Parts: sequence; structure tokens; C-alpha cells
Amino acid sequence: MKDFYLIGNLPGWVIGLAVLGVVALLAQQFISLKRRLAVGPSTFLVLLRTCVYSVLIFFLFGPAIVENRVARLRPPLTVLIDTSESMAFPASPKPMPEGKPGKSRIDLVKEKLLDGKESLIHKLSRDYDLRLYRLGTSLEPISPDSVGQLKATDQGSRILELLQVAAKEAPPQSALLIFSDGITNGDKKTLDGSPALPIPVFAVDVGETEGFTDARIADLRAPEFAFRGREFKVDLTIQASGLKGKTIPVYFNRGKNLITSRTMNVDADPFEQKITLSFTPRDLGPHSFNVAIPNQPGEQITGNNQKEFKVDVQRDKIRVLTLSGSPAWNYRFLRMALKQDPLIELVSFVFLRTPTDSVDVPENQLSLIPFPIDDIFLEELKNFDVVVFDDFSHRAYFNPVYLDRVKEFVRDGGGLVMFGGSRAFDAGGYADSSLKEVLPVELDGKGSYQTQATLRPVLTASGKAHPVTRLLPDPKANEEAWNKMPPLTAFNRVRAARGETLLTAGDGTADNAPLLTVGRFGKGRTLALMSDEAWRWNFIAVGNRETPQNHLKLIRQAVRWLAQEPSFEQVQIRPIPLSRPGEKVAIKLRVFKDDFTPTAQASVQLRVMGPDGDPVIVSTTADSEEGEYTGDFTPTKDGSYRVEAEASLAGKSLGKDKTSFSVAFPYGETDDGRPRPELLKKIAETSHGAFFSIHDWNEKTFDQMKAKLESQAPSQIVERRQTRLWSALALRPGFGVAWCGVVDAPDLGTHIVSRLVSRVSSSGSEPDTEDARPKTHNCR
Amino acid sequence: MDRRNFICLLSRSLVTAALWPRLGQAADAKDKRPIQFTFAQVKYRGGDWNPHPLAVTPLMEELMLRTSVEAATARREVSLTDRDLFSYPFLYITGKYEFEPFSQDEIDVLRRFVSYGGFLLIDDALGQAGYGFDKAMRREMLRVLPGSEFKRLPSGHAALRSYYLMRRIGGVRMVNSFLEGINVGNSTPVIYCQNDLGGAWERDQLGKWTNPCTPGGEEQRRDAFHLGINLILYAMTENYKDDLIHVPFIRKRLTR
Repeated sequence: MKDFYLIGNLPGWVIGLAVLGVVALLAQQFISLKRRLAVGPSTFLVLLRTCVYSVLIFFLFGPAIVENRVARLRPPLTVLIDTSESMAFPASPKPMPEGKPGKSRIDLVKEKLLDGKESLIHKLSRDYDLRLYRLGTSLEPISPDSVGQLKATDQGSRILELLQVAAKEAPPQSALLIFSDGITNGDKKTLDGSPALPIPVFAVDVGETEGFTDARIADLRAPEFAFRGREFKVDLTIQASGLKGKTIPVYFNRGKNLITSRTMNVDADPFEQKITLSFTPRDLGPHSFNVAIPNQPGEQITGNNQKEFKVDVQRDKIRVLTLSGSPAWNYRFLRMALKQDPLIELVSFVFLRTPTDSVDVPENQLSLIPFPIDDIFLEELKNFDVVVFDDFSHRAYFNPVYLDRVKEFVRDGGGLVMFGGSRAFDAGGYADSSLKEVLPVELDGKGSYQTQATLRPVLTASGKAHPVTRLLPDPKANEEAWNKMPPLTAFNRVRAARGETLLTAGDGTADNAPLLTVGRFGKGRTLALMSDEAWRWNFIAVGNRETPQNHLKLIRQAVRWLAQEPSFEQVQIRPIPLSRPGEKVAIKLRVFKDDFTPTAQASVQLRVMGPDGDPVIVSTTADSEEGEYTGDFTPTKDGSYRVEAEASLAGKSLGKDKTSFSVAFPYGETDDGRPRPELLKKIAETSHGAFFSIHDWNEKTFDQMKAKLESQAPSQIVERRQTRLWSALALRPGFGVAWCGVVDAPDLGTHIVSRLVSRVSSSGSEPDTEDARPKTHNCR
Repeated sequence: MDRRNFICLLSRSLVTAALWPRLGQAADAKDKRPIQFTFAQVKYRGGDWNPHPLAVTPLMEELMLRTSVEAATARREVSLTDRDLFSYPFLYITGKYEFEPFSQDEIDVLRRFVSYGGFLLIDDALGQAGYGFDKAMRREMLRVLPGSEFKRLPSGHAALRSYYLMRRIGGVRMVNSFLEGINVGNSTPVIYCQNDLGGAWERDQLGKWTNPCTPGGEEQRRDAFHLGINLILYAMTENYKDDLIHVPFIRKRLTR
């Protein structure tokens, strides 16, 4: 469109002066002409000159033709589509007819964007410089064509953080349009403390809250490990929506067995209640527990009704049972060593009287108690970790059944110790008992108990490294400590050692009879000390001004090794931290030989059991550090995983270990499916955008959004082109002719005016724009 | 010798002969088992370290008769500077009179002895508080364990229920109806009786009790033997009878 404008920029008083000057000049010229010409011609000439001067004055006003060309630009718009897992939940809590599955939230978004003769996505692409992203844990750019293939698979939704990112990257005077259910589980859950968004956000809420029904375990806190026999607590937070007036049971199970249940009366909507459950474990090892709420009528989301967790039950104390054939100094110092160890709980029975001893008072004047043999060996044995036979003969007190129980106890993982004496080993009749094959020595019934001996303990090659006899970390210092041990004066001879001999009896001969041997039977461990005088290593050492600690350490280390304390295991899996699905987990373990030196030649079997229970064999490789092995495993789903490792060397088992680790998404996206329209409203409000519900979305809504966007950022640009008339005029030669026609003498004043006008009009024509928007807007 | 005395001697001889096979049998049976306990008596300078030389054998015989412990019937005499002192975790010290102070070495040895698992039974054969043996022993124990004084043992102490449930303390004379002791940690490695236990245990070579027990007579002597057995078993089993498993039984028997 072309318009005429006066665009001169001379001040008014200059033009006024020029006018006055021209009037004065005309008057002077009329007077001058009248002297030479008649009034008529003079007047005509003056009029002619008046026209010329008027035109020149007119040009002082800068007349120009301005041409406005309206060019329409597409304003930028960033569209964010939430594709987190919660968008897979039903869009409406209302049940569908005939039990048909309802639309999911993401389906509803796709429908709104793609349906219709001219789809919304098409309109947006046409009218806006569109940037399209999928929003989850990060922003991922997508094309309009791929909207139809969108799936709600993102592990989490960091709405607040990603809106800030999108707003920062968007051009100024653009806007954001977000389709979401408002569930956010990034680090920020509210707008508090967040910087204001610099551009408006148009938030479209997907998902209905009215009629939303859900009961869920919102929070569960349980310890990772607990002690056997000690109660542990589990703190729960239960939330419910749309269930006011209902009663909800909560079940606490271990595996498939119910431990306890609680009932909650839902008296509000939304409802929240914290409860605490407790359990006292009796068995060691990892245990799986779960807390569950039965599916409630009308509940759309049932995946959050149950939570599983694992608790590793460890022994708080090593339980040791000792049976001593009579009071003896060996018992006294053994008891002292065990009682001083805070990790050890001792139950001991000392046979103060034999059947042949006579009493001189009624039984009720004796402190003797009946030995609860059935309770111990038929019921309670499994609750001990180590059983000690201290110079104790089974013949006087035991039914063979009890020894069979001891054998089973060791085979199932218990520890057994036999200390020497006149009632131990062959002297105690064990060569004919079921413990014959359990003990780490070979008995033939001919071994004897010898006194009047002088025997020094000699450390063998195995003993130098074994954790039981490793009293000091430095091997040389350890050997010296053993060399200084006081001699023993009594000793049980056995046929041979079956297990590892850690100490031999050095009596100056070449005999080298085994003095201390260790072995394995089934899953359990055994130890045999062929003397009842180990107490001398304590008290005689005190008399020699040496430390009694070596004896105390020997006893404690022996008990720990027998109880298979983790630090004494030959196969040790390192703790595995919390992992995420799809993230590779490096399972590391250490393997030791029987003498507790690391080995790189072990054959390692590593198995991982996932939440479904299917075992996966994981291959391992030896690391550069000797004894270290690594197996890589990638969990595909969240849940609890169990790892079992077993190692062997030259066909002989070195040991096993097991552990568990958890795999979880850090976001808990599907824990709470209730849409959060209030968050979206607040975002729209604080950013001066607008909030819409997707169900209300129609043409009008689109126009509303468009108008609001227009008011904030007009979408057209006007290109102005102005052409100054002076430049365009072909009149200028005419001025010269006219001028020459009436001037017969140089007229300096007129010449000056003409040059002035010419200078003012000398800029010519140029385009002009009144919108500073950048020119290029490309859809990425 | 008149008739009365002859009949008394004959009667005792016959009784002894009748008992001899039984003691012999018992000895035979236990001969096969090694010695687990040796009664070690401390010799010291000055005073009278051996007022009852024949006290130990009757106690050892009683110990073997009543309990599962196999003991040496003869005592072992040791001084505090003997190299093999620590082969005998049970020490007995008795006397009537004041004695020479222990040397510093002896003090150090005795301190280590009772601090690291040994047991010391102190038996006042005179029974005069603040005089003679009592005075000397208390003085020396203050040097052995400075700051630790003898305290009365409670009636429920583990030493009083280690075998017999003792309600009374025996001895030749009832100077105190209680025992005293010095605690180290959770145990009482030093126990003191002022009632002359050794005098009650002592029997001459003819088997006659050397000292009458007053005022309780033979019952008081029997209590002395019971106490001796209890203290030996206490030394060998420590606070065994304080273990939880024993408590209900003992409590029930004591309330009957």
C-alpha cells in the first residue's frame, strides 16, 4: 500500500523563516519588475515565481511516497509432549463400557494433535516456527511426522527442570506449549524457589483427577540388614485417592508367608497414613519381604500396590555351645577368651560330677542342673554357630542320635571343635562314632592321650597363612610369636590329619604329629586341637612376661573361622551398589586358597537371579590384582537381584558366597499416577501463559492461544519503502527553464534556496522496517 | 593303754580298713585319668606359712569323691618367685602370724598372677582381725592391687554356688560368717576366709581331725570342706554358675 507522507525533519521555525524570506523576496521582485514592466506582466511573473518558491518550500517538508508492504512471519513455538511412563496410565478414571480398555493419556494427546481434517500439529506447523520435543528425563527433538509413534516409556519426568531448559533455548518472544499430566519427579517438585520462566507457557492438562481411584504404598523405609533374634521395623506411608469411607488392609509378607496385617480406615480424600510394621528374624541370610495392598474396586493403577524389599539377616553374635567333660584350666581360659569377646555369646555346660561320684547332701543343696540334652541336640542345635567338645566323652551321656545331629549340624554349615584330653578323640571313643568322618583327623581307636610330654607348637606352611593361626599380620612376627609359645605337657595322638594341619607337635623328634588341624564337612568347618593344655599358651606366657593375647586371639579367630564370618571366607563378593535398569553392573569377587593366599587360577561360577527368579550364568575374568575376579551383568528391569558365586581349584571347592543388590529407576514414575493439574495451572499462571484441559481443547482454544500469543508477540512484519519526491522529480530541469525564463540577472537568493532544498532532499529512497525481529526462522 | 582307749583305736582301725578298699577303688578308677588339679600352697618368709601341713590331702580326696575333677592328693609347695608358679593357676596362702613383706618381684608376680586369670585363696589360721597374719596379708594385698580393698562377698556370689549351694561358711572357728574378696573385672580372683579352713580340713595320719570346729562341730567342718570344693571349682569355672541357664534352677532351689 502506498501513502504520501511529509518526512522532512527541518524545524518549523526554519521553514517559517524561509517563508518570510520568500515573501520578502517576492515583494522585492515585484517592486523591481514593476519598474521595468507593466503591472500585469509583473504580477504574472511574480505569481509564477511564487509557485516556484511554494514548490521549493513544499520540498522543505520532505514529501515522500511511503510504500508499506506487510510481510507475515511465523512466530516460534516450542511444543513439549510428555512421554514419561505415567502417560501410559488411563486418561480417564471412568470405567469403559464392556470392559474395554480406555485411552491412555499419551493416546489422547496424539489424538488431539493428529485427528481432524486439518490436524492441530499441521496447523501449528503452518502458523508457527515449530520446535517439537518429547519430554521425559530429558528433552529429545522429534519431527511432526513422528508424533503418531510416540510411546510413554520414559523412566521419569523432570517437568520443572526441562521447562527452564526449553525456555532458555527458545528465542525471545516465543512460547511453550506443553501436553502433560503434571506428574514430575525430578529434583524439583514445586515451583518454589524456581526462577520465573521468561516466556509464557501454555499448559494442556492430560488426565482427569475427578473420580481418580488409587491406593498406593507411597514410601517404604526398611533396613538393609538386621540381626537374628532382634526386631526390625519397617515404616510405610499409605496414600489413597477416591476411596473415602473404605477400609484398606495392608499385608506384610515374607515370601509367600503372611507375617502380619493392618487395616486402615480411609477417612479423607486424598488420604495419607503412616504405619510401622515389625519382624524378628530367626534365620540368617538374605530374606525377601513385601508389603501389599489388595487391588481396590475402580483402581486404575495397581502396580503401586506392592513393594518388595530385601533384608540381610546377620548374626549379631556368634553363638557357641561348649560341652566340657569336667572343670579344667582349659575350660577356665577358654571361657575367659570367649566371654571377653563381645561378638560371642557363650552357652556352656560343664559336667561337674560323673555318675560314679557320690554326694553327701540332698540334690537340692547342689547347684547342679540337669543337662538339657534333648532340648540342645534335638531342638536348639541349629541356633548355634559353633559346638565345642572340650575333653568330653560322649559315651557317658550321649545317645548316638545326638552325635548324628551334630554331624547334620556340621554338614548344614555349623562349626565343630574338639579339644584334646583323656576323654577326647580315640580316648573318648570317637573312632566308633558318627563324628569319625566329620573330624579333621583320622581316628583308628588306637590313639592315646600322653602326659609328661614337652611339646612346642610348630607352624606349618598352611598355618603361616591360615586366618586361625595368623596371630600377627607380619609373617615373620607371626612365626616368632608361635616360636615363643610355652610348651604343652599333654597331647592326643591321632592316626593322621584329614584336613589342613596348621600346627604340629614339635617334641624334638622327627615325628611332627598333628597338633592343630582344620577341615570341612559338607557346608561346615571343623577344628581339632590335640591337647587340653592350650591354656598354657595364655597363663604360662603371662608368667614369662609375654602377652596372653596370642591365646585369646587364637580362640577368637578359630571361632570366627568356624562360624564362617565373612572376613574369613575364601570367596568374598564385594558389595554391589544400587543400579539402574540397562546399566552394566561389574560384580567383583576375591578368591583365596585354603591357606588364604589369593589365587588367579580358580574356576569361578557366578550366577545372577533376577526378580523373575531365572538364573543367568555370568562369565568371569581374572583381574590384574591376584585373587580378584570380575563378571559383568546388565539388569533389564527393576527389582531385587541375587548373586551366588562358587569357586574351586583343582577340583576342590574353595567356598561360596552370596549377596543381593537392587536395581531401580531413580524416579518412581509409576508410583503415583494421579494427574497434577494444579502444578500445570501454576506454571501457566506464573509465566503469564494459559491453562487448558485437553478435554476442552477445540478450535476456540487454539484461537485463544493464538490471540494471547499475538498480543505478546505480533506475528507480522511491515516493510516500509519510502521514496522522496525530490529525488524522483523530473521537474528540476523545468525549474531551471522557468527560472531562466524570468530571470535575466543572477538571482543569488533564489539560487541559495534551490541549493538548500536540493541538499535536504538529497537522501533519496530507502526501505525501512518497523519490526526488529530477526529474519530467519527455521524449523529444526 | 586302757581298755577304753584300745576299743576306740580298734574301732577306728576297723572303720579305716572297711573304708580302705572303697578309697582304693576310687583311687584305682581315677588313677587312670590324668591329674587336672594340683593344690599349690605359697611359702613365704617369716611367720608360719604351714600351720596345717596335713590339710590338703583330705580336701583333695573329698574333691575327687564328690566331683569330676581329678586332683593330685599331695600339695605342691611354691614360692612366688618359682619359675613354674604359673603352672598352678590356683594358689593357697595361709598362716597365723605376721610375715616379712614380699619383695617387689614377688609383688609384681602376684599382681600378674591374679590379674591374668590366676586365683588366690587366703586362709587366716589365727582368726584375729587386725593382728598377725590378717594384718600382714591385708598390707601385702594393698601393695599387690593398690586401691583394691577386700569387700564382703554377697550371699549369691558365684563362688558360693559353684557346686554346693552354700548358706553358711565353715572353718575351725566362726570369726566371720562371710567371705571377703577382691574383684578384678567381672571375677573375684582373690578370696579371703578368716575362719581357718585349713584347720578344719586337717586330719592326722590316723585319720583323726586335728582341730575341733566350734561352735558348729562336724557340721561346721563339713561346711569348710564344701567351701573348699566350691572355691576350687570356682577357680576352674569362673562365673559359670552366673550363666543365665543356671539362674532359674538355683533360684528355685534356694527358695525351697
